[in-house]
Amino acid sequence: MSMRLGPQPGEVLDRTRPFTFTWNGREVPAYQGDTIASALAAAGVRVFSRSLKYHRPRGLLTASFHDPGCIVQVDDEPNVRGAHRLARPGMRVRSQNTWPSLNFDVKAINQLAGRFLSAGFYYKTFIRPRWLWPTYERVLRRFANGGEVPPEAAGDYYDKRYAHPEVLVAGGGPAGMAAALAAADAGASVLLVEEEHQLGGHLCWGDEADLAALRGLSERVAAAPGIEVLCDSAVLGRYEGNWIAVVQRTVPGVAERLVKVRAGTLVVASGLIERPYVFAGNDIPGVMLSTAVRRLINLYAVKPGERAVVLTGNGDGDAAVADLKRAGVTVAHIADARLGDDIVRAHGRGRLRSVELPDGRRVDCDLLVTATGWTAPAALLTMAGDRPVYDPRAARYFPDPARLPEDVLAAGGIAGDGSLDELLAHADAVGAEAARRATGAGDGPVPIPTLPVDAHPALFRGRTHGIVDFCEDVSSTDLVQAVEEGYRSVELVKRYTTVTMGPTQGKLEAVNAVAIVAEATGRSIGETGTTTWRPPYVPVTLGALAGRVFEPVRYSPMQPWHEAHGATPLVAGAWIRPDHYGDPHAEARTVRGDVGIIDVTPIGKLDLRGPDVPKLLNLLYVNKWSKLDVGRVRYGVMCADDGVVLDDGVTGHLGPDHYLMSTTSSGAATVWEWVENWLQTQHPDWQVHVTPLTTAYASMNVAGPRSRELLERVTEGVDLAGEAFPYMNVRTGRVCGVDDCVLWRIGFTGELSYELHIPAAYGLHVWETLMERGHDLGIAPFGVEAQRILRLEKGHLIVGQDTDGLTRGFSAGLDWAIKLDKDDFVGKPELAWQQEAGEYPRLVGLQPLDGSVVPEEACQIVDPPRRADRRPRIVGRVTSSRMSPILGRSICLAQVDAHLAAPGTQVTVRLPDGRHIPARVTDHLAHFDPTGDRLRV
Amino acid sequence: MILLPCPWCGPRNVAEFGYVGEAGPRPDPASAGPEEWRGYLYGRANPCGWVAESWYHRMGCRRYISVERHTLSNEVRPLATEGAGR
Amino acid sequence: MSDHVRRAASADARGPIARSPIAPAPPVAAVAGWEVSARRSDADLTVTDLTPLAKVQVKAPWDGALAGTLGGPFGRAERSASFEDAEGDDEDVLVVGSGPGEWLALGSPGTAPDLVERLERLAARLPNPEFVTVVDLTHGRALIRIAGERTPDLLAKVCGIDLGETVTPNGAAFRSSVARLAVDVVRYDRDGTRSYLLHCERSSGQYLFDALLDAGGEFGAEIDGFVEPGLS
Repeated sequence: MSMRLGPQPGEVLDRTRPFTFTWNGREVPAYQGDTIASALAAAGVRVFSRSLKYHRPRGLLTASFHDPGCIVQVDDEPNVRGAHRLARPGMRVRSQNTWPSLNFDVKAINQLAGRFLSAGFYYKTFIRPRWLWPTYERVLRRFANGGEVPPEAAGDYYDKRYAHPEVLVAGGGPAGMAAALAAADAGASVLLVEEEHQLGGHLCWGDEADLAALRGLSERVAAAPGIEVLCDSAVLGRYEGNWIAVVQRTVPGVAERLVKVRAGTLVVASGLIERPYVFAGNDIPGVMLSTAVRRLINLYAVKPGERAVVLTGNGDGDAAVADLKRAGVTVAHIADARLGDDIVRAHGRGRLRSVELPDGRRVDCDLLVTATGWTAPAALLTMAGDRPVYDPRAARYFPDPARLPEDVLAAGGIAGDGSLDELLAHADAVGAEAARRATGAGDGPVPIPTLPVDAHPALFRGRTHGIVDFCEDVSSTDLVQAVEEGYRSVELVKRYTTVTMGPTQGKLEAVNAVAIVAEATGRSIGETGTTTWRPPYVPVTLGALAGRVFEPVRYSPMQPWHEAHGATPLVAGAWIRPDHYGDPHAEARTVRGDVGIIDVTPIGKLDLRGPDVPKLLNLLYVNKWSKLDVGRVRYGVMCADDGVVLDDGVTGHLGPDHYLMSTTSSGAATVWEWVENWLQTQHPDWQVHVTPLTTAYASMNVAGPRSRELLERVTEGVDLAGEAFPYMNVRTGRVCGVDDCVLWRIGFTGELSYELHIPAAYGLHVWETLMERGHDLGIAPFGVEAQRILRLEKGHLIVGQDTDGLTRGFSAGLDWAIKLDKDDFVGKPELAWQQEAGEYPRLVGLQPLDGSVVPEEACQIVDPPRRADRRPRIVGRVTSSRMSPILGRSICLAQVDAHLAAPGTQVTVRLPDGRHIPARVTDHLAHFDPTGDRLRV
Repeated sequence: MILLPCPWCGPRNVAEFGYVGEAGPRPDPASAGPEEWRGYLYGRANPCGWVAESWYHRMGCRRYISVERHTLSNEVRPLATEGAGR
Repeated sequence: MSDHVRRAASADARGPIARSPIAPAPPVAAVAGWEVSARRSDADLTVTDLTPLAKVQVKAPWDGALAGTLGGPFGRAERSASFEDAEGDDEDVLVVGSGPGEWLALGSPGTAPDLVERLERLAARLPNPEFVTVVDLTHGRALIRIAGERTPDLLAKVCGIDLGETVTPNGAAFRSSVARLAVDVVRYDRDGTRSYLLHCERSSGQYLFDALLDAGGEFGAEIDGFVEPGLS
């Protein structure tokens, strides 16, 4: 049966654009502008969902964004606000939390078990026995409220942006519009945020005069420069420094956009939210608030019922009566609360049948409208430090302006009552003052008039018990029971019963809950206090919070070549590097036998210039740096002030007052900040300039016995002969036609090798040329994995792999480098004490006796227990392990306790499967070429 | 998100900064005993109230700056440092 | 990442070819020894890779004599001819006050060695010597320009700085987080059209370029290739 009315003066429908969508498989007609709920209501649908615990049928209550009764699944999207989301052609809408169907729901049997689902039910019932919890959890999951996200659902595009308005107005009703206009007139940039699809607030469903006022305000807002309007958007929260989160839903092609706002002044003009009345049967479909019926009739041209009873305590209830009559609804009975009238209970199952009056009469009806008062949604104000004050005369809370910070103001119904003109005048002053506070312009504070406060009957719960929290299915009986069990604080009652913890977050139910707790504890509402409002103001999707994910990645100049040659990528921090090109063992053999080339661009490089660089090096490295001739490089280790190894690398002396420091790839940023910290905070007088050049150079290591032969073919201006350019030296010259290249002769792999630092834009050119010119020498690229094998064969440590956050210098095999006779260096005191104490763990080479077993990295080294019932004592760990292709056996580095560090000591390694295997401490850290002859050729 | 008053860049979101910690002098490494030295390494007053802190403006001027922050209210105020006269 | 795979710009190029970290949108051409995109767009919002420009960093006392000579203090970018040498070289250079005591001079492609020399001469001519260093960062940085009326809206999607006239007027220079990257931003309007230069370390250039194109999608952003001299 169609409930659609003829055209209404304020309707938001475009009747020239009809379409259909489906509701639980059934086709439903709609017009452009209809919400899902308004189209369904127009089609005669009265039940939209089942309640959380008792699975009672639920219909429309507020017919607005906050309506708890019509949360639905739309296509792939769960938990859609059906009374807010606009209907679209072809959308598939389904009810949630019903099984097997909306009309016949087996879980409704919970109603019969109501006493077992009362306050604290979950806490009391499912805690024992503890081992049964996984079973409880599975069963309870089926009873949980919520839609479904199909695993195959396509993800939506979410977005973020920043905004810096001088004034942000939260709420686009008449007061919000007036405040925005006044702020813009005063020269401020304004962001006006409105939850509904259009500005205007309650004017939208008002009478002719309201609609005329709305047209005037709308035209002025549209014409005002400097006002950005976001409709269908919500202010989620206000944080320190007026950092404000707004979620915007109107961007084409974007599901939701999170706007991160830094506002000069925040004007809260969130209006008032109508409060439901608590009585038996108050959640039967057909019981609605006065604003709901006015919205249905005036915005959506929907007749909300045929025969109505109205309980009214204010002018809006009276206006609803007029609207109902105009819409052709029979008003069977009006209970005027101002005259002491009341209703007792509503009867009906699935739909309203009759209303019981105090004198015992039952009035048949299918619609019961209540207008029992207002809640001021003060969430944003309380987030700014406000504590709303209860005014018993008006039966509602008001903000306490004295507690608000300078940069937050309130306007409109939340601040007081009055005629439209009075509210507009107040908002006008607030907007001007907001602009003044944000911009500092104007001649002193703008006087803000005081709004009147109208008397209103205190209507919270009638003479029967009913639902208080429609989302969480919490009744007034539950609250009373919680009080009887000893929960007197409203905050504790909230946690115990979950009242106000559902999607409406207290906007409908908080004041009723406080009133019922007050009544049950024999205190006044003011004494009882309120629950705390916290962000978000309205439920928010995880997508909106995540937004677009920014994950910076870094590529070397040779990345196109790696991709074209089948490199398997390794993600190392933000860097994408080749792990290998198919066979890391073959790559390692190429380096030992012929010549290999690896992209080492991520190695950190710091350009250091100035006369005081040697002082800096002496301070930060544990070894000595005073005498390093131009053309020489030296390996250095940095420790922090706690003596723990921070980073290592080589630094070369390129020219007068000019050095190039290299760091580990992962330590590049840390070391840069470390160097800056010491220079800026401890030695601002030192003349040193630091410039990170990590990616200014494409870095590649050409390693292997034939590397010199290859480089001789492409290098100009550098004598590569062993005696002219020996190990641990640096030269600059021209490589493959590129000037200003830096060549280090160093050897992480243990082979004759040259590390080339090429001006980055030419990196790919040089790499390709080397591959071409080295073809007959057997050149092949090698990746990070082959390099790890090679350096482990050579016993070179990796900071962060063979050391951890507790490894002090002497535990990293660095005794030879640490010079305690230097005046001062970072970490010296702790290192001196470590050496003094002696009994510290050591880094050692380790080989399993069975060379075919490769113990996993981080395997424990244990002291086997003498008795089977004792746990083994941990005496060390394997820090690195690989199968060595050149030695044909497994090799390791390990941290072991001091008494196990002597070469030849046999230790026990516990494998992940629990097996214990024997391994032997080697003579040197290096498993291969311990004398370093291959490096020095 | 709080704003930190960078003496070089002006007020910036705290996410641009790295937290260094309570500001305090480094003892003379030549004379400091283990107790004093470890107090410098690990000891923090962590008062409920104003505390002088160092921050590193990683995403901005890359200077180490000092501010005073109230650990209860998160209010931040600048400490007089160089750069104010730029 | 397949767009990363590209062919050498031209087989007969003399000498090594320099490449930006940002894969050039085809067609590809060689300009001043650099492989660049020759694509042309007259879209309302364009994104251009300006990496081939010469980029030279100067460090000197922030309150010293050189600071006064260079012009742009921290937070400002200025077209500067103030450090022309005696030979009357009037090559136009943009000097960006990129940090306290730190400047970045931007010039035409290929002019970096000359720029370094001129800046070093300038420092040497100071009446009282200051601690000054000059480093060529041409290879160490990626440089991107976005141009069009909606560029502030694009930038507001990736950067938390207030892009309004009062905070960042034309010529403003700041470093901040852009798409979670430390980026130097210069407001550089051309012929009354909003434009920004964005400047980050080289290896993240492709990431930043892609992030800007993605954020600019709703404004119809298109790639516009490199035209000498780069900074008009």
